[in-house]
Amino acid sequence: MERISSFFVAVLLLALAGCAGAPKQPTAALPMPGEPVPAETVVLPGGEVVEPGPMISANKAVIALLERARRDEAAGKREAAGAALERALRIEPRNAWLWHELARLRLTQGQYAQAITLARKSNSFAGRERRVQALNWKVIADARIAQGDSTGAEQALKVAAELERPVLE
Amino acid sequence: MKFSVFPWGRFPFDFLRSHGKALRVTVLLLLLALSGYIFYLDVVIREAFEGRKFALPARVYGRALEVYPGAKLTPVQLVEELRNIGYHEHPVPDEAGTYKHTLNGLEFTTREFVFGDGPQISQHLRIEFTGDMVSLLQERGSTAADLPLVRIEPPLIGGIYPGHNEDRALLRLDQVPKPLIDALISIEDRKFYTHWGIDPRGIARALYKTLTGQRIEGGSTITQQLVKNFFLTSERTLTRKGTEVLMAMLLELHYSKDEILETYLNEIFLGQDATRAIHGFGLASHFYFDRPLDRLELQELATLVGMVKGPAVYDPRKNPDFTLQRRNIVLQEMVKLEAITQAQFVEARQKPLGVIRRAPTGTSPYPAFLQFVHRQLQRDYREEDLRSEGLRIFTTLDPHIQRQAEEALKSRLADIERARRITSGTLEGAVVVSSTQTGEIQALVGGREARFAGYNRAIDAQRPIGSLAKPIVYLTALEEPGRYTLFTPLDDSALVLRQAGTSDWKPQNYDHEFHGQVPLRTALANSYNVSTARLGIELGVESILDKLPLYGIERQPPPFASSLLGAFELSPIEVAQLYQTFADSGFRTPLRAIREILAADGKPLQRYPLNVEPVAPAAPVYLLTTALQGVVSEGTAKSLNNWVPAEVKVAGKTGTTDDLRDSWFAGYSGDHVAVVWVGRDDNKPTGLTGASGAMTIWGEMMRNIRPEPLEPALPEDIELVNVDPVTGVRYIEDCASGVQMPFIKGSAPTEVSGCAFAAAGEPAVGDAAAVNVEVKPAVKQEPQKSWLQRIFD
Repeated sequence: MERISSFFVAVLLLALAGCAGAPKQPTAALPMPGEPVPAETVVLPGGEVVEPGPMISANKAVIALLERARRDEAAGKREAAGAALERALRIEPRNAWLWHELARLRLTQGQYAQAITLARKSNSFAGRERRVQALNWKVIADARIAQGDSTGAEQALKVAAELERPVLE
Repeated sequence: MKFSVFPWGRFPFDFLRSHGKALRVTVLLLLLALSGYIFYLDVVIREAFEGRKFALPARVYGRALEVYPGAKLTPVQLVEELRNIGYHEHPVPDEAGTYKHTLNGLEFTTREFVFGDGPQISQHLRIEFTGDMVSLLQERGSTAADLPLVRIEPPLIGGIYPGHNEDRALLRLDQVPKPLIDALISIEDRKFYTHWGIDPRGIARALYKTLTGQRIEGGSTITQQLVKNFFLTSERTLTRKGTEVLMAMLLELHYSKDEILETYLNEIFLGQDATRAIHGFGLASHFYFDRPLDRLELQELATLVGMVKGPAVYDPRKNPDFTLQRRNIVLQEMVKLEAITQAQFVEARQKPLGVIRRAPTGTSPYPAFLQFVHRQLQRDYREEDLRSEGLRIFTTLDPHIQRQAEEALKSRLADIERARRITSGTLEGAVVVSSTQTGEIQALVGGREARFAGYNRAIDAQRPIGSLAKPIVYLTALEEPGRYTLFTPLDDSALVLRQAGTSDWKPQNYDHEFHGQVPLRTALANSYNVSTARLGIELGVESILDKLPLYGIERQPPPFASSLLGAFELSPIEVAQLYQTFADSGFRTPLRAIREILAADGKPLQRYPLNVEPVAPAAPVYLLTTALQGVVSEGTAKSLNNWVPAEVKVAGKTGTTDDLRDSWFAGYSGDHVAVVWVGRDDNKPTGLTGASGAMTIWGEMMRNIRPEPLEPALPEDIELVNVDPVTGVRYIEDCASGVQMPFIKGSAPTEVSGCAFAAAGEPAVGDAAAVNVEVKPAVKQEPQKSWLQRIFD
C-alpha cells in the first residue's frame, strides 16, 4: 500500500504541476511614467515672463505654452517642444512670433526646408514687425548654409541686416 | 451521461479485487490520464484568458479642449464637453469628473490623464464667463491662483477592436461603475469574493436535478460563467459541466478575483446584432443605450445585469416586458443586500427601460472620422498591432464642430426635401471641416445618418466637382500680373472647340446666355463657363491641370478643356485639401486627422507634426481670395449672407454639375475651411444647384460655429488701389465712388480718372470685400456691356 500511496503523491504532484505556472502580474492599468506634475498650470518663475523682449502675445495661455516649449527644448525634448508650439498656434494661428519659434525649432531639428518655409510663413504674418522678420531671415540664412547654399545664405543675411537697421521716421 | 474520459460503467470491478498488481497499474494509468487532462485544461483555459486580457485595442481620442481666459467658449458648450466625457453634476464638485453651475460659470474637478507630453494631475477649477468668452480661470482653494491655461481630458471617440466579428469596448475594472458590480454580485454570485471558483451547493443541486431527470440547469458562479463564455456551445452535458468546474478552479488558482471579474465584465455575451456578437458591458452599453457605461443610470445598469441570464429572452428590444421585470428583480436583490437604498430602489424601478430603438453600428459616435483615422494608421502600423497593442491615438476631431456639421446636414436635407417635395431620404451629403492654418480635420460627416457607419461619402464618394475647379484657372491667370488683374476683361462670347478625335465642345453658361466682355472677378463671381473656358485655353489646359499635384490633388484629370470646368471627379476631402491652400495664402498643409500616438505605457511613439509647403505665391492667392469673397458678396453665393453675416467676409465657390446631379460648396473663413457636397447615391439629378443645396448647409453649420472673419495678411507686393468696383477704372484716392481693390504692384491701371460718378452725400464704401454692386447707381442705369465704352472714355 505504501507504494500505492507514493503513486498517489507522485500523481497529485504531477496534477498540481499543471496548475503551478507562475501567475502573471495583473495587467496594470496605464502606468504613469515619472512623477505627475501639473502640466498646464505652469506659473512662470517669479510669476512673469522671464525674458524681456518683444510683446509676443497678450494671451497668457500662449506665453505659458511658449515657455513650456522653451523648457522642453532646453531639456532636449524637441518633439514635445514642437507639440507645445503647435498648441500655442492653435490658439493664435496668426502670431508671427510663434511661427518663428517653430521655424527655429525645425532648424535645430535639422529640418532645413521646413525651417525656411515656416520662417516665410512667419514673415507673411509679420506685418511691420521688422524684428521678427530679421530673425526669420537669419533662420533662413542658417538653414541655407546647412543646405550648402552659401550665396542664398548671404542674400538672406543681407535682408536681415537691412531689416535690423534703425528706421528713421 | 457521457463521461468519455472515465468510462466507469464499463469497468469490470471483480477484476480489481482479484488482481492487486493490475489494480495499481490501472489506478496509476487513470491518475496519469487525469493529471494529463487537467494539465491540458489548464493550458487551454489560460490561453483563452490571457488571449482576452492582453488584446488591448487602440483607443482613439478627439482633441483636448483648451480653456484659457479669452477663449471663445460658452458655458453651454463647456457643459456639453464635460458631459460628453462623462462628468456628472454634483453639489460639491470635488471628486474628479464632477461639476456644478455657479452664478457666472462653473466649478469642476478634472480627472488625471496621461497626455503625450506627460501626466496631468486632477485639478479643482473655477471658471467664469462674460458673454461667450472665458473671463476667469482659477484653481479653487488657492486665492492667488489665476491659471493661464487648462487642458481638459480629451473625449474617447472610439477604438480599433479585435476581429472575429466581435466588437469590444474594453473596460478596466476601475472604469466600471460600482452599482453594476454590486448588481452583478447580488443577482449572479453572492459568494464571488469568497468561493474558490465553484459553489458546491449549486453544483450539488444541479447534479441532483440532472440525475433525477429534471431540467439541466446552471448554478454557475461568475468564474464558471466566464469559462462557459470562452467556449460558447449550447451543449449541456455532465462532461461539459465537469470540464467547466475544473477550469473554473484552475482560473481561480492563477488569477485574482479582480482579474477574473474584469475579464468577465468584458467577455460576457449580452446580445446579437446580425453577425456581430455583443460581448461585454462596455459594448452592450453602447448597443442598448448609445452611451458609455459610466454615463448609465442605476436602472440601466440593472437592465444590463438582468440580461446576463439570457440575452435572447431578456432582449429589451424584442421582449421589453420580460426585461423590465427582470431589471426590477435585480434592483430588488440589490436592496436586499443593501447595495442601494430603499429610496434609490423606488426611484429606479419607476423609470422606463430607456433602450434606444435602433442600435448604433459601433462604439464610435463618429464612424466616418474614425474610418479616416483608421486608414491613415494602416499606412504606418500593422493591423494586428492596432487591434492589440493598446495604442492611444490622439486625433484632431472637435466634437462641437462635428455636431454642428452633422446637425446642419441632417436638418437642411430634411428641410430641402420637404420644401421641394423630394422623396424623403433620397438626398445624401458629406461635410469636411478643417482648420485654416494647421490643416487639422475638425469634423468629417460621411452621410446624413452620421451615427451609423456605412458609405463614407466624405472620403469615398468621387463626384464631378463642377465650378469648384474654376479657382485653379483664375489663380493661374493671376500669377501673371502683366496679363491679368481682377479687372482684366474676359471674352464670354460663344465658343466652339474643335479637337481632333473628339466631338466639338460648346460650353454653355448656366443661364444659357453669353455675356460679352466681363471683368475677370465678375466672371468668377457669376461662375461663367464660357469666359472661364476661353481663359483656360489661352493659358494652356495642360499647364493648368499639371499644377493640381502642387495643391495636393494626386488624381490627374483628363487633359481636356472641359476639365477646367470641373468635368472630373474628386471626393469632398480632396476638395477640402485644394481649398486649404487657397485659404492659407498659398501654403499647402496636408490635412491631418492624427496628432500623435502613444504606446500603452504612455511613451510617445509617433508625432504627426505640422508640415507646410509653399506652393503658390502669396500675392495671386490674395487676389483669388478677394475674387472668391466677391462670389459671396455679389455672385452666385450671395444668399449665403442669410446665414453668415457679411462681416465674416467668407470666400467661397458654388459648384453645380450637369442636370443638377451634384451640389457643392467650398469656402473658408479666417479659421475654418469647409466643403459640403449634396447629391444622390444613385447619381440621379437632385434639382439642386450649389447655392440652393450645399451652400445652405455650409451656411447653417458655419453660423453655429461662429467663424472668425477672413482677413488674410496683406502680402508685400500687393497694393490697394481705389478703383471702380465694376470697371476697374482708377479714381483719385479720396473718390467715394471707388473701392480699395488689391493689385500686384505694377499691375494697377496707371491712368487716374476724375471722380465722375461720385454722387454727393452717398456714403463711401470703405471695404473692398463688402462691395455691393447694386448700390452703385451708375451701374444700375447702364446696360452691362457699356462698361467697355467707359474704359475707353
